Amino acid sequence: MGTENPGRPNFPMRPPPGPFASAPPTMTPFSSSRPTPPSAYPTMTPFSSAGPRPLARFGDQSVPPPPVTSVPPAGGPYQQFPTSPSPSTAQAPPIRAPPQGQPPFQPRASQVSASSVSFPPQSQVPPVPMGSSPQSVNFSPSGVNVPQPPTGSLFSGPRPNIQPTFSPPDSSYSAAKSTFQPPFPGYPSKKSAVSQTPSPFPAQQGSFMPPPPASSSPFSSQQGSYAPPPLVAASLGYQSRGQMQHPSSAPPIGGIQSLTEDFSSLSLASLPGSIDPGCDHRTLPRPLDGDVEPSSFTKMYPMNCNPRYLRLTTSGVPSSQSLASRWHLTLGAVVCPLAEDPEGEELPVINYISTGIIRCRRCRTYVNPYVTFTDAGRKWRCNICALLNDVPGDYFANLDATGRRIDLDQRPELLKGSVEFVAPTDYMNRPPMPPLYFFLIDVSISAVRSGMIGVVAQTIRSCLDELPGFPRTQIGFITYDSTIHFYNMKSSLAQPQMMVVSDLDDIFVPLPDDLLVNLSESRTVVETFLDSLPSMFQDNVNVESAFGPAVKAAFMVMSQLGGKLLIFQNTLPSLGVGRLKLRGDDLRAYGTDKEHLLRLPEGSFYKQMAADLTKYQIGVNVYAFSDKYTDIASLGTLAKYTGGQVYYYPNFQSSIHGEKLRHELARDLTRETAWEAVMRIRCGKGIRCTSYHGNFMLRSTDLLALPTVDCDKAYAVQLSLEETLLTTQTVYFQAVLLYTASCGERRIRVHTAAAPVVTDLGEMYRQADTGAIFSLFCRLAIEKTLTNKLEDARNSLQLRIVKALREYRNLYAVQHRLGSRMIYPDSLKFLCSYGLALSKSVPLKGGYADAQLDERCAAGFTMMALPVKSLLKLLYPSLIRIDEYLLKPSAQTEDFKNIMKRLPLVAESLDSRGLYIYDDGFRFVIWFGRMLSPDVAKNLLGEDFAAELSKVILTEHDNEMSRRLMRILKKLRESDPSYYQLPYLVRQGEQPKEGLLLLVNLIEDQMGGTSGYVDWIMQIHRQVQQNT
Amino acid sequence: MVKLTMIARVIDGLPLAEGLDDGRDLTDAEMYKQQVKALFKNLSKGHNEASRMSVETGPYVFHYIIEGRVCYLTMCDRSYPKKLAFQYLEDLKNEFERVNGAQIETAARPYAFIKFDTFIQKTKKLYQDTRTQRNISKLNDELYEVHQIMTRNVQEVLGVGEKLDQVSQMSSRLTSESRIYADKARDLNRQALIRKWAPVAIVLGVVFLLFWVKAKLW
Repeated sequence: MGTENPGRPNFPMRPPPGPFASAPPTMTPFSSSRPTPPSAYPTMTPFSSAGPRPLARFGDQSVPPPPVTSVPPAGGPYQQFPTSPSPSTAQAPPIRAPPQGQPPFQPRASQVSASSVSFPPQSQVPPVPMGSSPQSVNFSPSGVNVPQPPTGSLFSGPRPNIQPTFSPPDSSYSAAKSTFQPPFPGYPSKKSAVSQTPSPFPAQQGSFMPPPPASSSPFSSQQGSYAPPPLVAASLGYQSRGQMQHPSSAPPIGGIQSLTEDFSSLSLASLPGSIDPGCDHRTLPRPLDGDVEPSSFTKMYPMNCNPRYLRLTTSGVPSSQSLASRWHLTLGAVVCPLAEDPEGEELPVINYISTGIIRCRRCRTYVNPYVTFTDAGRKWRCNICALLNDVPGDYFANLDATGRRIDLDQRPELLKGSVEFVAPTDYMNRPPMPPLYFFLIDVSISAVRSGMIGVVAQTIRSCLDELPGFPRTQIGFITYDSTIHFYNMKSSLAQPQMMVVSDLDDIFVPLPDDLLVNLSESRTVVETFLDSLPSMFQDNVNVESAFGPAVKAAFMVMSQLGGKLLIFQNTLPSLGVGRLKLRGDDLRAYGTDKEHLLRLPEGSFYKQMAADLTKYQIGVNVYAFSDKYTDIASLGTLAKYTGGQVYYYPNFQSSIHGEKLRHELARDLTRETAWEAVMRIRCGKGIRCTSYHGNFMLRSTDLLALPTVDCDKAYAVQLSLEETLLTTQTVYFQAVLLYTASCGERRIRVHTAAAPVVTDLGEMYRQADTGAIFSLFCRLAIEKTLTNKLEDARNSLQLRIVKALREYRNLYAVQHRLGSRMIYPDSLKFLCSYGLALSKSVPLKGGYADAQLDERCAAGFTMMALPVKSLLKLLYPSLIRIDEYLLKPSAQTEDFKNIMKRLPLVAESLDSRGLYIYDDGFRFVIWFGRMLSPDVAKNLLGEDFAAELSKVILTEHDNEMSRRLMRILKKLRESDPSYYQLPYLVRQGEQPKEGLLLLVNLIEDQMGGTSGYVDWIMQIHRQVQQNT
Repeated sequence: MVKLTMIARVIDGLPLAEGLDDGRDLTDAEMYKQQVKALFKNLSKGHNEASRMSVETGPYVFHYIIEGRVCYLTMCDRSYPKKLAFQYLEDLKNEFERVNGAQIETAARPYAFIKFDTFIQKTKKLYQDTRTQRNISKLNDELYEVHQIMTRNVQEVLGVGEKLDQVSQMSSRLTSESRIYADKARDLNRQALIRKWAPVAIVLGVVFLLFWVKAKLW
């Protein structure tokens, strides 16, 4: 119950919703948040004892009853009910909250000794008089007047779920609106957009007057002094029911009151035969804040590693297999071992060479904050496998009275969830390797024409100073077309010597040394080479590409040391081993069983090569540039199994895309990289890692081999439970990366996290982490496209979401009659929107025509490696309106926060008078509205503002507006430097460019054969309701 | 021709630096590296070894010098002139002491001076070809005397340690076993004593009991 703060701290032990089953549902909020008053009248105490502010506030309408009847003065305002203006709403609280209401209750408490006696009738009231239809649900909460507090607490909680919860004005239930409002008058006041604030209240008051005896009878008979309140409230319910009769199929929204505390819901009136979808798309939940890291998790276990390193799909780990099997959102984790640390939060580095690193004897877990020391400090218990280990003499420290080591303050590994150890000799097979960069550059005619070579050479040259690992850094080059060119870069030479090998069947290395040189020694030769590289091949007319043999050659040169191999490929490999066919153009393959083969590498060469490369610690990054089909599926395999990544620049033109390539290549070369790494994830007893997803090679069952790894790579793992029940309260995870840092040190990076074990499915849902779930879903779906049709991958994704929501619905459907509301936990409120976004993402969307095969594959490879934050940004990009900021006269302040208001991705968000930026983390699309004032366009684009925008390149002009725009772009880029967003300009109505660049990415819109957001929700909802 | 180069601290055998891409054309480089490590371990045990030594192993020879508590070791072909190999090690030593001399004692992690590998690499290349003018002149230089440097076999060298280990192991086993023997002897003694006197004691006991019973009854 994310909203109940008091209930939070003791949450692991928190009673599972047992209370729901036994006691009336409405009671739970109190029993959980307020343990004390189980005696006479638990429900009333909050009011009399002036509960927390939000509660009191909510009471506004829930408690009015008491004053009305018990204390005449208070009832004053209410008596003028029918026309009472909104001010009365404001007056209500002061009137009712004070003690007037109290006297009647107090005696009650004493009168009725056992609460259980007095209670049941109360809760039974609703069904008795009007149990005919779902409306009674509506009645029950309002009638009992107990349940309101929970709703109130919802309001006090996270704001966002307010919107989703009450989807207001809509034709389908506008009729009922006025009566529905009463349950939450407190709400409109907070939500500025909706302007029905005053109206609901009068309506409510109106309903106070005629107290239908039927409903009140149980109360009046039982509780003399108390009777009136229920009467009033009951009448309310009655009244509303009466009015609801008209829109016969309208949903019982009132029921939500008692539920909101546990989950959010969405009203979906699925009117049969109605055109109106029944819910207002404006109120649907949207992830406009981007990624939100789970905070409850870290609060609960402050010693956990930061969520940027490790995130679980749910922080509540199920205690048994049967429970886990009901959790359809896959149990798993996303690990980003080298995530960039913010300034000043670098991990502590610990050197225990002399004592040796303390690890568990049995499971080899590293010592971490969660191990416990016993036996006066002589033993420690492993938190993962519970084995009692001896503490080595050098590591011994006495325990103080509380059982803490007296030297705790000096032991960062016992205080922090993330630390780095300096690795002793046992952890290395060979001396730490130097950082090594090897470049394999295509120089065939298309590469020359696109200008790629020039940009690459320039960029490498400018990065030479920043390559990590000075002075050990090694560097080497090979270029190739139909032959392979090696370069001797011996430091004593004045300029590099080129050696050409044309025998592609039997590749040999023409020189034993000096193809791979120390950068600091051969600096001048390398610079000369890079300066002359573009001109060397400018007249090359060779169209062939001996890609396979070139990779082999590079492999032979590098195999001694390993390192990073950067391949710049511009055409389809056409010669020697690994030559590829134009197989991707085949339209007919789509929709058949052979469809997925197109997304798999052709032949065995690439897989085998990747395996060899990994074995020798070589990581490959593929840069592909072609405008035609290059079979990224095959080329990317090299990157996939060597822990690298694929950069794809379709139809590369240096004048347009040069900047993007420059930034991304520079980032690739200069970011902190870990070499010859391996990673292992250990989980507590009873939990097992079943599968891993990402770019790596699995060396043994649970060891990921990562020749190179950096901060922009994340790995997902699926977990499963073993037969046995988890008996512990907490379960631990440890992700360990053993790597060589660029400075030549071998290090062990240890991230430890703890998570509570829960026995209740509801708790699992509450602790869910949408970001991690989608990171895992995305990888599963992409892997599915490699063995199945796209359609199947999308369907299985949808099925997972449906199953999860259905399971959740089943949890609550028994106690609450939900009618046609869609319910979901607050933690998963974006499940549907991201689900839609994922099924419309490039690797999964549509069919043959919707995305080029290469683009699809490249996106697939990229998304397999993306960290959570970037992935969510890519799935649900931001759309920002900026013209107002640009035009504001005095916006000298850098109030970017205000401008960065993300808009929903629907065409309606686009105002033709506006200027918008669409940012998915990989590119910007700047959209010029048709009616945007020409001044703005002129200022931003210069003289040629009226020209075809595809030819215009956005540069800074000498005016404030242009400078501001550039500042915004810069700011947006800074938020995630892993990729460089190139601005594409598009004008409204400029087809087909507008459609391709922007409209197709407005994922909430209906587009082609795909469903819009509302339809999607309805579709999911319908499926959820089936078989429930 | 130089195949491997390794530098280690003598006290604890901690490796300090190693040549870059050593053992590229060696099929069983790993085995030789293991031997080198065993050798270092031996040295760290404090067996009093000569400060300059050549150790034969298979088709190769290890040459090493120990200076300033650091051991510089290289592995060459048997045909490679000893003189050049030791000159090579001297060069390394001089540079290593110049660059890292002060920090050798305080180095706390393995391969703390891995940056030295670039120098090793460079120097190695100078010594690669024995027929260069530079190396020939070095060979002819009589200043540097290598004749008295002992040559031994690797099995022997590693064996020494092994044998010593065996001896100490044996002696320790001997002490513990003799202690067990003494314990057992004492035990046997006691048992013999019991066996000898137990019947007498029982008979006497019975007699006394009878007397006592008699006295009690009558």
